[in-house]
Amino acid sequence: MISVKNLHKSFGKLEVLKGIDCQVQESEVVVVIGPSGSGKSTFLRCLNKLEEPTSGEIIVDGIPLDSEINVNAIRREVGMVFQRFNLFPHMTAIQNVVLAPQIVRKTNKAEARKIGLELLEKVGLSDKADEYPDRLSGGQQQRVAIARALAMKPKIMLFDETTSALDPEMVGEVLAVMKDLAREGMTMVVVTHEMGFAREVGDRVIFMDEGIIMEEGEPNEMFAHPQNPRTQAFLSKIL
Amino acid sequence: MDLNWKSAIDSIPILNKAAVLTLELTAVAVAIGVVIGLLMALARLSKSKVVRAAAIGYIDFFRGTPLLVQIFLVYFLAPKIFHWDTLPNNYQYFAGVLAMGLNSGAYIAEIFRAGIQSIDRGQSEAARSLGMAHSQSMRYVILPQAFKRVIPPLGNEFIALLKDSSLLSIIAIQELFYSGKIIVGRTFQPIPMYITVALYYLVMTQLISQWVSYMERRLGKNDIR
Repeated sequence: MISVKNLHKSFGKLEVLKGIDCQVQESEVVVVIGPSGSGKSTFLRCLNKLEEPTSGEIIVDGIPLDSEINVNAIRREVGMVFQRFNLFPHMTAIQNVVLAPQIVRKTNKAEARKIGLELLEKVGLSDKADEYPDRLSGGQQQRVAIARALAMKPKIMLFDETTSALDPEMVGEVLAVMKDLAREGMTMVVVTHEMGFAREVGDRVIFMDEGIIMEEGEPNEMFAHPQNPRTQAFLSKIL
Repeated sequence: MDLNWKSAIDSIPILNKAAVLTLELTAVAVAIGVVIGLLMALARLSKSKVVRAAAIGYIDFFRGTPLLVQIFLVYFLAPKIFHWDTLPNNYQYFAGVLAMGLNSGAYIAEIFRAGIQSIDRGQSEAARSLGMAHSQSMRYVILPQAFKRVIPPLGNEFIALLKDSSLLSIIAIQELFYSGKIIVGRTFQPIPMYITVALYYLVMTQLISQWVSYMERRLGKNDIR
């Protein structure tokens, strides 16, 4: 589904990604962990070209990310959820959800609204459809953001620290929605600090540090017996 | 000081008419300015160096030269550009509004640019990640939010332009200041007349300012930031 070869990314002189190779299979849930500044968010943002890679090859769903047309095509198939929600504040929850299907997929209004309400129901917010984002809690906003991404019927979902900006009591409701998605067979790449989620839902965990993949493997195995000293040090601090 | 207010009071019907004209001229000029300003702001933020340079050139010229000079330039240049051998009726109104519109376009371009740039980058990232093209993200996500934020500075621009419209007297447009001046030429009572004219401007700018803050409150309701 996703194939990344020798991905490099520098911001000016600072080299953030130093050669990433990675494959993600269909329906696989890959969890990316690592200390802050390790490049995991940058890696994720390269997958839908929110960051322009300095070099390397990325192929998503069979399409190389090398032209403007391809990038827009890929973005339609790859949903992304952000740490800071990034809901459109001038639109209600349902308007947030139906905007892209209507103007990008040209879905008609009634159909888009029907899908939108179904998705809000799925994330448990059908009663909040007509609320503006500033009337919703962080957890609710993030669930609307997930529904918004799903409305494009993506084949892949990217999650960029989606629970890091939430109050602790709201983390669970967002993770629950993500678990449902994983169970339904969505292909997911999840950057997170939630190790419980990684262990429970992840098919594979990737540990990144200093811009490279230090170690990857089956979650339970890796959390129990990390091989790389960096992984050991990181996990001992957070588990 | 022996002031004769009678002439000023007698002139109120004329001044009312002139005040309405002043408002109309300013409104049309601002409307032109908003269109030009939006285009120039987008051009200013374009990826193309040439487009960007053209916008900067436009903005710098109209902000860096006096409006009075621009009024004369447009007044004399427009017939050449449009190949008019004889000037249309009331040509001065056309030239005057065009000059003011071109001028305010440059200021409004900078207002819009600041408004667009003040919108969090996450907004366009979210829009782009949903597959929207740059233009769609601008139209549906960025500009609606930016418009709300630029209402106060746009109001200020409207007020500034309303006052500057008195410069149109130089090409014999019968706006407020020009009308007052004509009447003074007849009555030789400049002080009551110019005090009256000043009060007219003051009332108009106050009303606009009230209206702008009303709009700001009404539209600001759903803005979380």
